[in-house]
Amino acid sequence: MSASSPRTPTQPAVTAQRWQRQQQAALIGLLLPYVLGALVLVVIPGVLALGLSFSYYDGLSAPSWWGLRNYRMFFIDPLERIAVANSLYFTLLAVPLRVLGALGLALLLRRPGRGVGLYRAAVYLPTVIPDVAYALIWLWVFNPLFGPLNLLLGVLGLPQPAWLADAATAKLVFVFMSLFQIGEGFVVLLAGLQTIPADYADAATVDGAGPVSFFRYITLPLLAPWLILLTVRDLIWSFQYTFTPSLLMTQGDPYHATLFLPLLSFEETFANLRFGMGAAILVVMFACSFALVLAFYAVVRRWTRADAA
Amino acid sequence: MPPNAIRKLAPALARHAAALALAFVFLVPLAWIVAASLRQPGLPPPRTIQWLPNPPSWANYLAIFNFPSVPLARYALNSLVVASAAVVLTAVTASWTGLAMALAPARWQARLVMFSIALLLVPAGALWLPRFVLFTWLHLIDSYGALLAPALMGSSPLFVLLFYWTYRRLPAELFESAQLDGAGLLTLWWRLALPLSTATLVAVGILTFLLYWSDFVNPLLFLKTPDLYTLPIGISQLKAMDRNNWPLLLAAAVFMTAPTVALFLVVQRFFLGENKLHL
Amino acid sequence: MLAHTPRRLATLALALVLVAGCAPTPTAAPAAAEVSWMVLGDPAETKSFQAVAAAFEALHPGTTVTVITLASEEDEYFTRLGADLAAGTPADVVYMDYRDAGRYYANGAFQSISAQLAASDLISADDFYPQALNAFQWEGEQMCIPINISSLVTYYNKDLFDAAGLAYPADDWTWEDLLTTAQALTQDTDGDGVVDQFGLGTAAQLIRVLPFIWQNDGEFLDGDQLALDTPQALEALQFFVDLQAKHHVVPGRVEETAQDSQARFENGTLGLFFQSRRVTTAFRSLTAFDWDVAPLPGQAQSATILHSDGLCIPAKAAHPDLAWDLIAFANSVQGQQIMSTTGRTVPSNRGVAESEYFLDPNAKPAHSQVWIDVISGIRPAPVLREWEEIAEHADEEIERAFYGDGSAEEALQAIIQYAGPRLDE
Repeated sequence: MSASSPRTPTQPAVTAQRWQRQQQAALIGLLLPYVLGALVLVVIPGVLALGLSFSYYDGLSAPSWWGLRNYRMFFIDPLERIAVANSLYFTLLAVPLRVLGALGLALLLRRPGRGVGLYRAAVYLPTVIPDVAYALIWLWVFNPLFGPLNLLLGVLGLPQPAWLADAATAKLVFVFMSLFQIGEGFVVLLAGLQTIPADYADAATVDGAGPVSFFRYITLPLLAPWLILLTVRDLIWSFQYTFTPSLLMTQGDPYHATLFLPLLSFEETFANLRFGMGAAILVVMFACSFALVLAFYAVVRRWTRADAA
Repeated sequence: MPPNAIRKLAPALARHAAALALAFVFLVPLAWIVAASLRQPGLPPPRTIQWLPNPPSWANYLAIFNFPSVPLARYALNSLVVASAAVVLTAVTASWTGLAMALAPARWQARLVMFSIALLLVPAGALWLPRFVLFTWLHLIDSYGALLAPALMGSSPLFVLLFYWTYRRLPAELFESAQLDGAGLLTLWWRLALPLSTATLVAVGILTFLLYWSDFVNPLLFLKTPDLYTLPIGISQLKAMDRNNWPLLLAAAVFMTAPTVALFLVVQRFFLGENKLHL
Repeated sequence: MLAHTPRRLATLALALVLVAGCAPTPTAAPAAAEVSWMVLGDPAETKSFQAVAAAFEALHPGTTVTVITLASEEDEYFTRLGADLAAGTPADVVYMDYRDAGRYYANGAFQSISAQLAASDLISADDFYPQALNAFQWEGEQMCIPINISSLVTYYNKDLFDAAGLAYPADDWTWEDLLTTAQALTQDTDGDGVVDQFGLGTAAQLIRVLPFIWQNDGEFLDGDQLALDTPQALEALQFFVDLQAKHHVVPGRVEETAQDSQARFENGTLGLFFQSRRVTTAFRSLTAFDWDVAPLPGQAQSATILHSDGLCIPAKAAHPDLAWDLIAFANSVQGQQIMSTTGRTVPSNRGVAESEYFLDPNAKPAHSQVWIDVISGIRPAPVLREWEEIAEHADEEIERAFYGDGSAEEALQAIIQYAGPRLDE
C-alpha cells in the first residue's frame, strides 16, 4: 500500500505534499526503533564478531590482526573438524525428519473432527517447554540406568543403549529431542494445507484420482512454498539449536561426540579466552548453514523444473 | 454392521487411533516427569517405571523453595517481571513496526523484509560478547535493561514479520480512509491496526513470554546480583547443588514449565481449534 | 568432561569484563569502616563465614563486614570474580582455591601480603602448616592465607565392610589392599546379574592420579620440567586406570552417568570413596549407615594431594588494610575455631587443627585425626598459570583410559605432549 495520499481534486497540491511528507516522517519514526535497535543490537555486534574472527584477542591486551589464522585452525585442530562434522550430522538427520514429521502430522490432523484440537495441542505442547526444563527432562528420560525410557525398553525386552554415555548414541539423543518440538512446523503446514481449496479435492475425485496421486500432484506442489520455508528455517535453526542442551546435558561428552559448533565457540571464547577463534567458529557455522540453504534451493529448483518438463 | 459402513468408518478410526497414539507419545515424557517429581524424597532411584509413585508426595515441590542459597521463588518472580515487561514492550514495538512496514512503499517493504530475514540469520552466539561490551559501556550490566533491550526492537524480527503479514492482509482502503479523515500513524495503530490483529497479538505475546521466561544465557551473562537472577539460573544452580536428586530437579522443571503450558492450553483453542486455523 | 564446563562460564566474566577494557565504574566514596568479603560455599559454610564476620565486627566497633555469598557453584563464582576484577570493583577479601589462583597471580589480580604477614601481631607464618602456606606463594611472595589444609582421603562405609567381613582400612594399607578390598566389596546384591554395589568410587582426574604417582616414587614436575615420562608414573597411572578398566571395582561410564559416585556412597551402595574434607558436612547428615575415613593407600611411600582454599586481597581492593585485618582475624585461633564448627575445613592453623575444635570426638568422622597425620606426606598440585587447561586435558585423557577407551600409555603420552610446552610461562 503506498503512502501517498489519494488526492481529491479540490485539495491544493502543497498541503498534499506536506501531508505526504508528514506521513513519511511518521512511518520512519515508527520504523526507527526497530532499525536502530537492529543495528545496535544485531548488525554492529555481528560485524564486530566478523572482524574479531580475523584477529587474536584475549581480553587482556588490544586485539591484533591475525588474518586467516583462526580459520586455518579448522585444518589443523581436530576439535574444530569434529564440531563441524557433529553439527552437519545433526542437521542432516534432524531436519528431514522434522519436516517430514511435521508434514505427516499436519496431514493426519488436518481434518476437523472430534478431539482433533486436543491432538493438535498435544503435539504442540513440548514446544512450549522452556529450554532449561526441556534439557533436564530428557537428561532424566535418557538416564541409562534409571530413566523411564530404558526401563520401558527393558520391560519390552529390547536392548537398552547407553544414550548419553556412549559416543555413538549421544548424538541421537539430541536428534530425538528436536523431533519432539516439531509443533511449530506442524502448525505452519496445517495453515498451508488449509489454503488448499476444497473444490480441488472434489474436482480430483471426479477425475478419478486416488489419494496418493492427489497428494503428489496437487497437495505437494501447493504446499511446496510452505515446505521450502520450513526446511530453510530448520536448516538455519538446527545449527544453533544444540547449544543449550549440549551445555546443560553433556558439555560435549563423551569424547566430543556432542561437541557442536555453538558449544565449541562458547568454550573457545569463555574458557580459553580466544575470542577471535570463537568468532571464527560462528562465522563457519553461519557459512555452513548458508551453504546448505543454497544447496537445498538448487535441488528444489531442479525438481520444479523437472516437474514442469 | 453393513460392510459399506465399516469401509467408510475404517479410515476414520485408523486416523483416530494413529492420532491418539501420537498424542500419547508426545505427552508421555511430560507425564513421566510429573510422576518422577511426585516420588518421595530420600528414596533410591526407581528400578521400574513408575506411572504414579505410591504414595505420591508433593514434598519435592516444597523442597525446591527451601534452598537457602537458591531463593527459587524470588527468581521465579523476577522471571515473571522480566517476561511480562517484555511482552508489553514487544507487543507495542513489534506491532507498530509491522504496521509501518505494511504502510511503506512497496520497494521499502521488500527491503525491510529482506533486512528482517537477514537479521534472523545471525547466530545468537555472535552477539553475546559484543553485547556485553556494549552494555558495560552503557552501564546496563546487572540490570534488567540489558535483558529487555531487545524488546525495544520487537524482540525478534519474526514477530515484526508476523505483524507485517497480518496488516498487509487488511484491506488498504481501511487505512486510506482513516488517513483521509486525518488520522495520524499512531492513531491508526492504536485504533485500527491493534484491534484488528488480536490473534497475532496473542500469538506474539505468548511467544515473547516463552522466549523471556526460558532465556538462560542472557541472564547468566548480564546479571551479577543474585537478587536479580531469573528462574533458569536458579534451576541450573539447583542442578549444581543436588545433581542426583532427580525428583527434586524434575519438580523444579515442572514448576518452570507449568506457566507456559497453562498459557498455551488457554489460548490454543483459538489457534489449533477444531475447524479453521486462525493464523 | 563430566566435571569441568561450569568453570568456563566463570572465566566468562574474567574475559568479558577484561574485554570491556577499563570502563571505569564510579567507586562509592569510602565509608567509615567497611570491608567486603566474597565467599564460596554451601549454606553451612557460608553461615560460618558470616559468624566470623560478625565476630570481627564485634571486635571492631564501627566496622561493617559485607559477606557476599553466591551460590555454591564454582563456575559462577569465578564468573563474578572475573567480572569484578575486570571492572575494577572486586571485593576486598576474596576466597580462592590454590589450584585456580595461578592465572590470577600471573595477571597481577591479587596483591602480595608478605609484608602484612611479617608485621602482624595477630598471626604469624609459624601458626600455619607450611604445606598450606607455601601453596599460596608466587615468585617468592605470600599471596593469600590458607584457611584449610584438606587433602584427599578415603571415606568408607563401615556397615558394608562389616557385612563383607572385612577389616577396616589400616593407616598403612597398600595398593594391593585397596584392590582386594574393593573387589570384595563389588557385589551384585540382589542377584539380578548386574553389579549394584561397587567397591570404590573416584573421579577420573589428574588430581586423583597425582597422589598415586607420588606414592610410586614418580613425579609430575622436576624443577620446572615435566617429569611424567617415567616407568613409575606409568605404573601408577596404569594401576589407577585398571581399577575401572580391568577390575571394574569402580562404576563404569554408564553407571557413573546414571548416578555419580558421591550419590552412590550416600545411598550406601559404595564401599570406598576418594574425596577431600569437603563432603564431610554433607556426609554428617547420613544416618542410614556408619562411616569413617582412612588415609589413601600407599606404595613405595605414602603421599596425598593438598586441597586448600585461601583468602586473598585483590590488587584493586578498595580497603586493603581492613581486608588484611579481616584475613588475619579469620585465620587467627578464634576465627578458625568458628570456621571449623561446620566440619567443612581442616584448619590450617596448627593450634586449632590439633585441638578438639577439629578433633571433636562427638563429630564424625571418628578418625578426623587422619587429616593431621597425613600432613607430612601432603604435596600440592603445581601452581601454574595454565594449570586449569593442563588439568582439563589431562582429565580427558585419564577418563578415556579409565573407561576402557584407550590405554594408560597413550593417555600418559598425550598428557606429556599437551602439558610439556605449557609449563613455560
